[in-house]
Amino acid sequence: MKRNILILIVFLSAMSLHAQLNENIWFDGLSRSYFARDAIDKSMSDTLSAKNSSNGYNLLDLNTHVNPIKDIEIFAQLRIRNSFGSFFGSGTEINVRQLKATGIINNKIRFSVGDLFLKQSKFTLYNYDEELSFFESEILKPYRDIIHYENFYIDNRWRLQGIQTDFSFEFDRYIRNLDFDFFVTRPNGSSQINETTYSSDLLLSGGSIFSKINKKLSLSLNHINLFEVAASGTKNISVRNPVYDLSLLYNFDNTNYCLEQKLQTGFSSRYWLYSELENEIADSTSNKTQGMYFEIDNKYIKKDSTLLLKLGYRYVDPDFRSAGSQTRRIDYIDGNYNTIYPFYTNMSIPRQPSLFDLVSDEKLYNQDISSLLMAFNPIYSNILPYGDATPNRSGVYFNIKINNGNKFILAKIKTGFYKEVIGQGALEKRSFRLLKGALKINLHKSFNLKKELSLIASTESERTIREGDEVSSLNLISNHMNISVNAELAKKFFIQASYKQFNANGNEFLIQRDNFGNIIYYTPSQIDQKDHMLSIGTMYKFRKNVYANIHYNWWGLKFVDQPSLDYKYNRLLLILSVKL
Amino acid sequence: MKIKTKIFLFISVLCLTHSCTKKDFEGPLIETLYADFELIESLSITNKNPNFSDNEQVGFHCSFNKPVEWKISIMGTSTNATRFITGFSSVIDSNNIFWNGGPSQIPFFSEEKCVVELTFENEIDTLRDTINIISAKNYENGIWVEGFENGFPVDGLVHYNSDGGGMTFSLANDDALLGNNYYKMGGRVNWDWALGAIDLPLNISDATQNPEELYLNIGILSDLQDLHTGQFINILISEETVVPFNDNTNNNASDIFESNMEVYKMKIPVDWEGWQLKSFRYSDFEPVSANDPNINFNMNPSDIRAIRISCQACPSSSGNPVCPENFGKDVRTDIDHIIFTVNSSLLDQ
Repeated sequence: MKRNILILIVFLSAMSLHAQLNENIWFDGLSRSYFARDAIDKSMSDTLSAKNSSNGYNLLDLNTHVNPIKDIEIFAQLRIRNSFGSFFGSGTEINVRQLKATGIINNKIRFSVGDLFLKQSKFTLYNYDEELSFFESEILKPYRDIIHYENFYIDNRWRLQGIQTDFSFEFDRYIRNLDFDFFVTRPNGSSQINETTYSSDLLLSGGSIFSKINKKLSLSLNHINLFEVAASGTKNISVRNPVYDLSLLYNFDNTNYCLEQKLQTGFSSRYWLYSELENEIADSTSNKTQGMYFEIDNKYIKKDSTLLLKLGYRYVDPDFRSAGSQTRRIDYIDGNYNTIYPFYTNMSIPRQPSLFDLVSDEKLYNQDISSLLMAFNPIYSNILPYGDATPNRSGVYFNIKINNGNKFILAKIKTGFYKEVIGQGALEKRSFRLLKGALKINLHKSFNLKKELSLIASTESERTIREGDEVSSLNLISNHMNISVNAELAKKFFIQASYKQFNANGNEFLIQRDNFGNIIYYTPSQIDQKDHMLSIGTMYKFRKNVYANIHYNWWGLKFVDQPSLDYKYNRLLLILSVKL
Repeated sequence: MKIKTKIFLFISVLCLTHSCTKKDFEGPLIETLYADFELIESLSITNKNPNFSDNEQVGFHCSFNKPVEWKISIMGTSTNATRFITGFSSVIDSNNIFWNGGPSQIPFFSEEKCVVELTFENEIDTLRDTINIISAKNYENGIWVEGFENGFPVDGLVHYNSDGGGMTFSLANDDALLGNNYYKMGGRVNWDWALGAIDLPLNISDATQNPEELYLNIGILSDLQDLHTGQFINILISEETVVPFNDNTNNNASDIFESNMEVYKMKIPVDWEGWQLKSFRYSDFEPVSANDPNINFNMNPSDIRAIRISCQACPSSSGNPVCPENFGKDVRTDIDHIIFTVNSSLLDQ
């Protein structure tokens, strides 16, 4: 280890020296110091868990950009991480976190090889936001930043490794231009399961074609395919999941406003292929499902950014399956435990992820594309657990964003009225009502204060109802409320406070699926719980993306019908984050 | 606008022609899953007078209105042998759910009348029937390692700690699992883990199975009288192909179980009364020296050269009291009927 560190230091010194001489090498990155001390609240009677624990680290992500020639850039992100409490060398990790080469061939074709951040349409390849992230308060933003940074969640893209290329053509008649984008990635490589069995390579390939037909009309085509290469492993069964997407975008604008209408449709297929069978048995398929989707989206945007209205209708077939857009950031599969106090009470009960864990625990989050629908918790997200690509939904949505001229008030409202296309375990269908609202009042704008003083309030409500007999009927209501204040006491020095509360009440059925994603069982679940999280702290903002934050969290969960399972914890958190 | 019209028509046609789902609901019906339990077809048995020695099978069939946890219990009225078959489904299909005549654990069934009971979790219903075994199953079908019926194998090696007390490394015929003879391994060594071991050469080079398909079965006898709580059997299987089985004739032990060789291990704690038949998938054996980069651990049944069955126990001398509660206690890990089977354990054959 010491030798590695020495080599790295020599390497960096050499690079630095060379960089001073050569402008084709430059650096940026991020440095973070993190310390958290967690403690059980005195009111708890858990004698098996540690009364308190602390952990922390220093890390430096050094991004090295090398431009050997004008049209090529080599990018490497090296991470040096030292956990608190470990000695130099023994607790220091040095990893290559990202590696990529990008370039332009003959000023016409752009290519990237290595770590790619990919996104297509919302139904083919899209990394939807996690639950309860509609409007985050300033004091909790460092948590969210860490979750997104550590899991490579950038702009709703999936981080994948492979090769990508794009190029475009311009025309002087019929259409204005044609843009092409293609990629091939490998989300999972072949790995050894046991002595003689190897899993197959999992590949994700896709392409997009975008054309601006005229000033007002654009057309886009997307295709993506998740598939396993049976020959790369010892299993003779491999998944196939192609998705085709077509959208038509109509733009109309004048000096005051802009109208956007989008018509989007497509379909998917998913099946398992049995190939290379013994005794020359012909290839066959199983568990084949096909599904389509359709969306009409209308947007009205005032050009001074004071008003945005969005109205649309969406239909997603129950059998629509798209691994690239339906993979969740959080998988509620059994065994995915919280980092902080994963077990509690003197019976060592696994502690399910709560509001605090969703806000703060970056290790709960997933970076791998899944060919099967991941498990979700209906308490925190029951209406659109897989984002807009959630299968078995049809309904209308309406969004408003208001921003008054001097930015005194910023308001956002999102509503949705959805229904299942077919019932799940019953002929009756679930109906869903979604209401999200957020209001930010910049008091300093109104009172002409030089220092910032803002108040944020937001709420997210979900209601799920299914009529029917006594056994299959259900009614689940959840509400997430958030109030926070951000006050600049001295120049760049902020006092911050936030209170979050989450209530869920009612009943739902938890779905169990087999290895091919078919529903095999429903477990009834009675829900009556209240999560809370109170945070108070200070922040010194050196400049944008450079801050020191210290705050204290009081958090916990109450089960109304099972008070013996209630829990309360506290946390002290220090973060120094510097974007280089 | 013409292009827009064409594209719009294309999308409309695509939407209309591409079929939406035709199902009314997905998954099993909840009202069925949580409805009161009802029997649709009663228990039927495909062969009530099985001749298991001729590889006959007994199939079971039954159906209910919803998936439930069910359990078929077969009890021999003479031997008290039992066999349990469990599942979760709404149908017990005789093509998939059948009995080959083996028990879930020792004792074995003999030619006897058996009572069959089908019960359901959280339901009071119990269905009963009987089976009359014409001929009991035999347990000879497999790749034999040793049954000790012809004495201790001439090319086998026995080595045990001669300084111990009451060492019983010898053949016996008073309580064999199957046949007449078995091999006793036990005694008392208070200061060391190893009591002794037997090494048997093997040649199964014509085996074509992969490690997942091959099971090692071994009968082990113990008793609970003054039980040594730290006793266990350690099985080593060697795939060493270069060194001869008994390279050094002076040490009275095989020389192909060294730490620098391709050797796999399985540890079996022994804490029961009477005989038990234990079965282990060969692929579940672990490399002895997993971290040695010079050994190529490529498990292959056809390369198996020898097996070592060791009797070991937690030592407890006054100078080394690892488990003082076992001081002065006799170890008993007798063995019999060691056989490889293919695709399933001996009792599931």
